[in-house]
Amino acid sequence: MKNSIFKSVIVYAKDVFFGFWSILGSCLTAFPYILRIGELRKEVTEGYPDPVSSKTADDLPARTRGLLFNDIDRCTGCHDCAKICPSQCIKIEDEPGSDLTKRWVSIFDIDFSKCIFCGLCVESCQPNSLFHTKQYEGAAYQVSDLVASFGRGQLTSEQREKWALIRKSDQNKKGLS
Amino acid sequence: MNTQGTWIVSWFDLVGLPKDLPHWVYTLVSLVCVYLFVVIPSAVLMSYLDRKLTADLQARIGPNRAGYAGVLQSIADFLKLLQKEPQFKWGLRENLWLVSHTMALYSTLAVLPLGSLALLVDTEMSAFLPFWATLVLALGTMLLGLTQASVPGWFGGIRVAAQTLAGSFPALIALVCAGVRAGSFKWSSLVHSQSFALWGWAAISNPFQTVAFFVFIISGLVILAIPPLDGGLSQSDIHGGVSSYLHGRRLSLFQMGRLYGFFFWCLITVVLFLGGWNLPESLVSHLREGESWIMLSFLELTCLLIKTFFLMLVVTWVARVNTRVRVDQITDFSWKVLSPFSLVALMGASLWAGWRAL
Repeated sequence: MKNSIFKSVIVYAKDVFFGFWSILGSCLTAFPYILRIGELRKEVTEGYPDPVSSKTADDLPARTRGLLFNDIDRCTGCHDCAKICPSQCIKIEDEPGSDLTKRWVSIFDIDFSKCIFCGLCVESCQPNSLFHTKQYEGAAYQVSDLVASFGRGQLTSEQREKWALIRKSDQNKKGLS
Repeated sequence: MNTQGTWIVSWFDLVGLPKDLPHWVYTLVSLVCVYLFVVIPSAVLMSYLDRKLTADLQARIGPNRAGYAGVLQSIADFLKLLQKEPQFKWGLRENLWLVSHTMALYSTLAVLPLGSLALLVDTEMSAFLPFWATLVLALGTMLLGLTQASVPGWFGGIRVAAQTLAGSFPALIALVCAGVRAGSFKWSSLVHSQSFALWGWAAISNPFQTVAFFVFIISGLVILAIPPLDGGLSQSDIHGGVSSYLHGRRLSLFQMGRLYGFFFWCLITVVLFLGGWNLPESLVSHLREGESWIMLSFLELTCLLIKTFFLMLVVTWVARVNTRVRVDQITDFSWKVLSPFSLVALMGASLWAGWRAL
């Protein structure tokens, strides 16, 4: 009876039956999802925040990593963000400013076509001038439009000379005291 | 004018066209009508329902932008695909694919059984014509894969061919089962042998027909590579298979062909096994006495399409809650499970029919 044809037919029929049974079982398991009963009725995905889903940008989580913004008044031009950036998307040019503690940031460009929104620059920023906004719609028609500029612009040579004099007098004062 | 022509003539009356036109004009107009008012709305509705049901089963939201609750999403997608620019030039073999695909699609329109009055081709062999068209559709898909000078295309094409071969045999035997019960392969007599009531359906009337029904619908999924048995087209190692290099208009043509094949197979399954367009006897005789042909064909069509959509949704449900099956498992399943079961069903159905004839 060990290798009889009847036995193999029974085994075959059993396999087919259990295959059918398992498919039926999986279909019945999914039934609450169709009828939306109990805990399973809530969708896991979230609607895109815009008027259609009646959500706003403020409904986003508190630590959303949106587009970056640099408050240039607080920025010291220390280059920490540019150094830690893994995709090297921050370009900074600076020169000595009117006082010794702060530098004049003439160019501060963030290239969002390269940015991976890892947030390392925000963490490393000492004066807390760089932060994530909750803005999430950054699409543009040109790649060059994806560069956000926060710099104060280039200094004129007159200003440069004037500030050099101020700095020198400041230094002299310090040296005297 | 045969009986099949009466329904289109009554439609002509409604829109005010002359009655004494040649036969081919009626045929052409009815084909266009079937395509515009049955096939395209069904495709739009089904692709929407499919996406919503899939989203429900996967705890997603699904389309919710175009129109109320996203009802216009299929149209929006179609319009978007039309705008895309082609990347490659069409070769001879791609044109061959297009011709065979289109031929298969539009040849089935003529034999589509849509009601007792809406029958253009109702011969002794008409139940086999869609079967032939399905094979041509699969052949076109295979050719498309083999034309692409790429690994996904070649392997996808060969796999589609393997699936088609594996699925054809049980499908043919199951089709014969339905014919044995009705005593004919005419659409009209296939449907006439069943009734509106549930116990009059072929699939429920005896256990062998039930087996034949399951074999027929599943082997159709194998032939046309429809989920969950779409291993030949959608397996991960050939990333997209035949359709991996299609985009824009060509992709929309391909998708429409697949959707139409699915719809079409479910439609003939309903006609063969699930009661077809049968309405309650009293209602039919009342409508026939009143000669309200338009009402009769409309009600029959509605009945048929509701059953078809329900069958399609059940298949989608099964597809979404089960894993995708590998292509060798599909062919294996088709040869080793579907084929023996179809043969058993044929033997049983023949004996049953012989017993009833005694």
